[in-house]
Amino acid sequence: MNQWEVFVNDIKELAEDADLELTIRTLNAGIHKYTYKRVRCQVSSDLKKHADQLQVRLGRGQLSASRFSIKVLDEVQRLPEKYR
Amino acid sequence: MAAPRSNREFIEACVKSGDAVRIKQEVDWENEAGAIVRRACELAAPAPFMEKIKDYPGFSYFGAPLSTYRRMAISLGMDPASPLPEIGKEYLKRTNGEVIPPVVVDRKDAPCKENILKGKDVDLCRLPVPLVHDGDGGRYVGTWHAVVTKHPVRGDVNWGMYRQMMFDSRTMSGAVFPFSDLGKALNDYYLPRGESCPFATAIGLSPLAAMAACAPSPIPEPELVGMLAGEPARLVKCETNDLEVPADAEIILEGEICPDYKVEEGPFGEYTGYRTSPRDFRVTFRVNCITYRNNATMTISNMGVPQDEGQLLRSFSLGLELEKLLKSQGIPVTGVYMHPRSTHHMMIVGVKPTYSGVAQQIGQLAFGSKLGPWFHMVMVVDDQTDIYNWDEVYHAFCTRCHPANGIHIYRNAPGTPLYPFATPHERKHSIGSKVVFDCLWPTDWDKINDVPTLVSFKHVYPKDIQDKVLANWTAYGYPPVK
Repeated sequence: MNQWEVFVNDIKELAEDADLELTIRTLNAGIHKYTYKRVRCQVSSDLKKHADQLQVRLGRGQLSASRFSIKVLDEVQRLPEKYR
Repeated sequence: MAAPRSNREFIEACVKSGDAVRIKQEVDWENEAGAIVRRACELAAPAPFMEKIKDYPGFSYFGAPLSTYRRMAISLGMDPASPLPEIGKEYLKRTNGEVIPPVVVDRKDAPCKENILKGKDVDLCRLPVPLVHDGDGGRYVGTWHAVVTKHPVRGDVNWGMYRQMMFDSRTMSGAVFPFSDLGKALNDYYLPRGESCPFATAIGLSPLAAMAACAPSPIPEPELVGMLAGEPARLVKCETNDLEVPADAEIILEGEICPDYKVEEGPFGEYTGYRTSPRDFRVTFRVNCITYRNNATMTISNMGVPQDEGQLLRSFSLGLELEKLLKSQGIPVTGVYMHPRSTHHMMIVGVKPTYSGVAQQIGQLAFGSKLGPWFHMVMVVDDQTDIYNWDEVYHAFCTRCHPANGIHIYRNAPGTPLYPFATPHERKHSIGSKVVFDCLWPTDWDKINDVPTLVSFKHVYPKDIQDKVLANWTAYGYPPVK
């Protein structure tokens, strides 16, 4: 199980069971903790629906009480070709 | 006492004078190191030198490097007990002197080249990048550092302290304001051409190099370091671009700024004492080479409520640079000071009030200058008020500033997204408002009959009475005044 975190301004940005594109950071222990990925994913407030867990922070870093499970469908590459 | 030439010499000097403590027990890079630095700032305690970092054997942290005037004095090679006005005079003397250009040394003489990571070995997570505050948008690589760039046309070098958050193993994002030197170069040159901008980030600088990167001086930073230190700064060429970086820095990151590609940055605990600026898409730095010293020390500034080095040093240098500017314009200023507790938002200017409108003239020059976006209040007091003594300044403000005639407001000026009072729209578009508090007696008042007489020990008693009372103070039964 992986632990992820996302920043949103409004919890409504996390529409359940829809395909979302989010920037999430890993909370898994180790030196890469807090690094980000851009992903296509689905989230659910049913914490058992998906294997990975997602916690949420709001606009100024406040930890939200809302928790989700998350399924990462694939990684989205945003970096333009010329910079790779 | 000579000015410390490197971060290591500075740590040694601070430990020796009692202005830094060695922390031997292991410290976690996730929050714990940040919390130690924050508490040290709030207590004005010695700077923490954390010698053992969880997950990162061989690395160390030095926190709150310049968050006290004592450590600022040490950085200039002065007695740590030097009073602030003396430190200010020394800064002005050195920065008004002869320009001392840097020297470029061979890479074999540059400690920052002791370890070099390129290609697939480049991973920012190999460095002990701290999570400075719980809830920050990321781990911040650059909190006390210099981002080195060169103007593509003019060729002038810029060292700026633009905060940098680790986004992934090779990417950082940071706040670069549009009115800054780098912001202007990116928007005027690189963005329209779709070209990347070479950069290097130097971390663990000598304290005077950090001071130069933080100061809003018109003197190019490599020269400014030499003038402050009294000897040339030692630079070395980067591995992957033509920039030159401080040879004695602890860590160097080389790469390119991608002007047309932005990733999320923030929120971050800021020098105002709040997390104000929103998480947003900001300037992106791609790292393609990391070099570092053996047993490298990463410097951490933990911004928050007063006082940290951002507030202290920025207040110090902004005030002194404004003093230079006002004097160059013939304004009869007697001193300029920002109390760090204003989080460098209020400039206090002492002036001989010899003509009317001088307070507004000072405000217009200050706000209209390159320094202007960094503060929004100018308080002008007379030359009898001690600008370093907040009690005197506050008394002058509360009693001499006319609520209808003495407050002058300027709207739609440049501002920063970091202003806590700004509206969300103003933050998004770097719009500010400014105010001048004129605490001078009007020059058209009759000095005998209209101007009130200040009632204080040093102003209303004859000199012989003052001397007698001072001489007998302990004999009256009072403890000595320190």
